Amino acid sequence: MNKKALQGVRILELGPYVALPLTGRILASLGAEVIKVETNKVLDEMAFIPAWSRGAGQPDFQRAKKRVSIDVRTPGGLEVFRELVKVSDVFMTNFRRNILDRWGVDFPALRELRPDIILMWQTGLGGIGPYYTYKSYGILVQHMGGVSLMTGDEGEPPSAINTSYSDYHTGVFQPSAIIGALMRRRMTGEPATMESSIFKSGAVTAGPAILDYQVNGRLPQRIANRSTATAPHGAYQCQGIDRWCAIAVENEEQWEGFKRAIGNPDWCDEPDFSTAESRLANQDRLDALIGEWTATLTADEAMTRLQAEGVPASIVSQGDDLYASEHLKARDFYRPTPSYIAERGTPAWEWEHRDSIAWNTPAKLSETPMEFGNYSNVGEDNDYVFREILGMPDSQIESLKEDGSLY
Amino acid sequence: MPLQTPEDGRLLPPYRVLDLSGPEAVFCGKLLADYGADVVRIEPPGGDPSRARGPFAGDEEGPDRSLYFLFYNTNKRSITLDLESDRGCELFRRLVAQSDVVVESYSVGHMDSIGLGYEALKAINPGIVMASVTPFGQTGPWKDYKSNDLIALAASGFMQITGEPDGPPMRQGNDQSHFAGAQFAAASILGALYYRDFNDGEGQYIDVSLQEALITYYTDAHPALAHMMLGENVTRVGATSTLVIPLGAYPSADGWISAGIITPREWDNLSEWIYEVTGNEEVLNEAYKGGNQDRAPYNDIITALVIDFTTRYTSEYLFHEGQRRNLVFIPVNTVSDLLADPQLDASNFWFGIDHPETGTLQYPQGVFDSEEVSPATNPAPTLGQHNEAIYASELGLTSSELDELREDGAI
Repeated sequence: MNKKALQGVRILELGPYVALPLTGRILASLGAEVIKVETNKVLDEMAFIPAWSRGAGQPDFQRAKKRVSIDVRTPGGLEVFRELVKVSDVFMTNFRRNILDRWGVDFPALRELRPDIILMWQTGLGGIGPYYTYKSYGILVQHMGGVSLMTGDEGEPPSAINTSYSDYHTGVFQPSAIIGALMRRRMTGEPATMESSIFKSGAVTAGPAILDYQVNGRLPQRIANRSTATAPHGAYQCQGIDRWCAIAVENEEQWEGFKRAIGNPDWCDEPDFSTAESRLANQDRLDALIGEWTATLTADEAMTRLQAEGVPASIVSQGDDLYASEHLKARDFYRPTPSYIAERGTPAWEWEHRDSIAWNTPAKLSETPMEFGNYSNVGEDNDYVFREILGMPDSQIESLKEDGSLY
Repeated sequence: MPLQTPEDGRLLPPYRVLDLSGPEAVFCGKLLADYGADVVRIEPPGGDPSRARGPFAGDEEGPDRSLYFLFYNTNKRSITLDLESDRGCELFRRLVAQSDVVVESYSVGHMDSIGLGYEALKAINPGIVMASVTPFGQTGPWKDYKSNDLIALAASGFMQITGEPDGPPMRQGNDQSHFAGAQFAAASILGALYYRDFNDGEGQYIDVSLQEALITYYTDAHPALAHMMLGENVTRVGATSTLVIPLGAYPSADGWISAGIITPREWDNLSEWIYEVTGNEEVLNEAYKGGNQDRAPYNDIITALVIDFTTRYTSEYLFHEGQRRNLVFIPVNTVSDLLADPQLDASNFWFGIDHPETGTLQYPQGVFDSEEVSPATNPAPTLGQHNEAIYASELGLTSSELDELREDGAI
C-alpha cells in the first residue's frame, strides 16, 4: 500500500456542487479519509449537469471518498452525523448557516461535540457582511470577480466562460488552508474556523489590475488574445471546422524560429515586421498573413512545425484532442472509472452502472502519490463507516434505515 | 531543522521556501508566504525578469515599480544569486541545507543541468520538498514544448470554451493560467510537509503539469468525457446561454448585469417585474412559463424583453432589488467595483500594504476569513533586499566573503 501524506486525518464533507467536492477529492487523494455525507432524498445537481452526463461526471468530483447516505434532517440521521463529528478532524460545508442551524449542525453546536475541530465554511458571496443572506449561482458569481471584463474584445459583451472558474479557485485554495490549519493544530493545539467565498477567490485573481487601478487610475483593457508587449500573439484558424492554433512569439529568437517554421516568406523581412515594435504596430496585417499560412495546415501541423523551431504554439485543444492525446496518455492523466446513471427518486444502489473516465491528478508526488482511489456511489460506504468507524450495532443500523434516517 | 510553530495569527509555520519560479508557479510562493511561510525569492543579480513586466507604478519602468511583481511577491524576501556561476550554485546548495521547500518552473532538465536537480538536493537535505511546475509536466512527448499564458490556455482547452460561438476561441484575461498549477503545487507541497513533519516521512519531489491543472479548472464541462460519450466537443456559448433563458450577461444602464433564471418560480417573479416596468404584456405569455429550458424556443423574443428591462436600471439596483424579489442578478464587476464593494470590505479581504514606490495600497489577500489566522502584510521585496540578513546573519558569511561574491557577480 502506498504511503499517504495525510494519513490519520479524517474529514467530514457536507455539501454539493463543484468547489467543495473538489476540495474533498484533493484531500482524499492526498490520503485523508474523507467522509462525504449526503442523502438520496436530495441529490447533488451536478449529477445532472451537463444534462447528458447523468452521473458520468461525478467521479471527477467524488473519487477516493467514503460516501455515506444520512439524512441529517431526521433525528436519527442527526444523531449519527453528530457521532461522526466527534471522530473527525475537519468539517467542511457549503450550506448557509441558517440551514445548518435549522438542522442542528451549526458551528457552535459542532464545537461542543469536538472542541478542536477545524471548520471550513464555503460561501457564495460571503458569510458575514451585507450580502450574507443573498442567493447566488456560481456561474454568475464568477462575473463579480472582475475577470469577465478582462476577457474578450473591447466593445463586445463580456466573454462568458463555459464553466465557473472561481469555483475551481475556491476548490483548490481550500485544501491548502485546511492542511495548514491541521499543521497549526498539531503544533499549538488550537483549531481554526475559516470562511471562504467563491466571490473572493475570483477577485483575488484580479490582483495586478487592482493595483494598476489604485496607482494609475486605469481600468483593465480588453485585448482579446493579444499582448501589449509582443506580436504575433493570437489564435489562428486552421483547416477543419473550428480548428485553431495559438501562437505567441515573445522575443527575437522566437521570431527567427517563427520565420524558419513558416518557410521564410518575403514579407517576414519587410520593415513592417522587422522589430518587436513594428510587429506590434502592424499586427492586423501580420495576423492576416499568418492566417493565410495556418489556413493551409491542420492545427496539429502548425503546432508541430512551430514548436520544432522553439516557438510557443499550441492547438486549441478540443475534447477529442484531450481524450486521444499521446502526451496525456503518457502522463496517465485520464483513467477509466465506473459511474452510475443518476435517477431521481431511486436510491443510488439501484442505479445502472456505466463506464466513464476521470482525470487522475495534475500533481505527481514521488513518495506519497495522489491516489486515484476507489469510486463509491452514494451510500456505498455505509457499512464501513457505520460499523467500523462508529461501531454501530446491526440492530441500530437496521432501525435507522427503516425510519429513513440512513437513506 | 527543528519545526517552528506559526507566528501569532499566521496559518503556516515559517517554512523556508526557495522560490525560483516563473509565471507558472509564482502564485504558489505568494500563497505560502501570505500565510506565514518564509519564502525567499532567488533572483539573478540583474533582477527577476518579472520585475520588467508591466503595468508599472506611474507607467515608469524600474525594478521595484512593476505592479505585477508587487502583487505576486507579497511577503517574500529577496536575495540575488547567480545560478549560472559555480559559486552561485554552491551558495544555493548551502541554502538548501537549511530550507524546507524549493519551487521552480524552469524548462524540464534545466535544474539537473546545473547540478541542482532533485537527487542532488536530496543528497544535501533528505527532508527537502521540491516542486516543479511546468507547462506540460516532466514527462511525455510534449514536455519540452515552449509555452506561456496564451499557449497554456490553448493547450488545456480552456480557450475552446471561452468566447462567442461564431468567433475565435478567447483567452481568459489577466494571466489566469498563473493560478491552477500554482494552487495544486501549494496543496501538494503542504501535503508533503505534513507527511514529512507529522507522519514520520521524508522529503519528496512533486511534478505539476500546468496543462493538466488547467483541465481540472473546467471539470464540469467534461471535455474528454463528452467526446467519449457523445462524440461531440464542448465549445463556446457566448455571453448568454441558448438553453437556459435568461442566463448570462445583459447590458444594464451603466454596464453589464448577469442574470440566471433557473426555477419556474423565478421566471414568474421576473416576468411580473418586467411587466410592471415595461407594461409589455407579451412577457406574461403562458408559453414562456416553466422550467429553465422551457423558454429555449423563444430565446430571441425573451432576450429582447429582458434587455429592454435591464437597460433601464443600474447593475447595482438590479442586484439588490433582484434579491428582494428572490431573483439572482449579479453585477459584472470591474476592479473599481471590487474596491468599492461593501461585502469585500466587511469580510477581511483587503489588506493595506505599504511599499516604498507606491505608498499603501489595498491588496486582495483574504482568500479566506478567519478569527484565528490572517495573511501577513509585508510588501514585495526590493531587489536583493535581504542579502545581508540571509547571507550574513543566516548563512554566516563574513563581510569579506560577501564582498568577494559581489565582485565575482555571484550575488
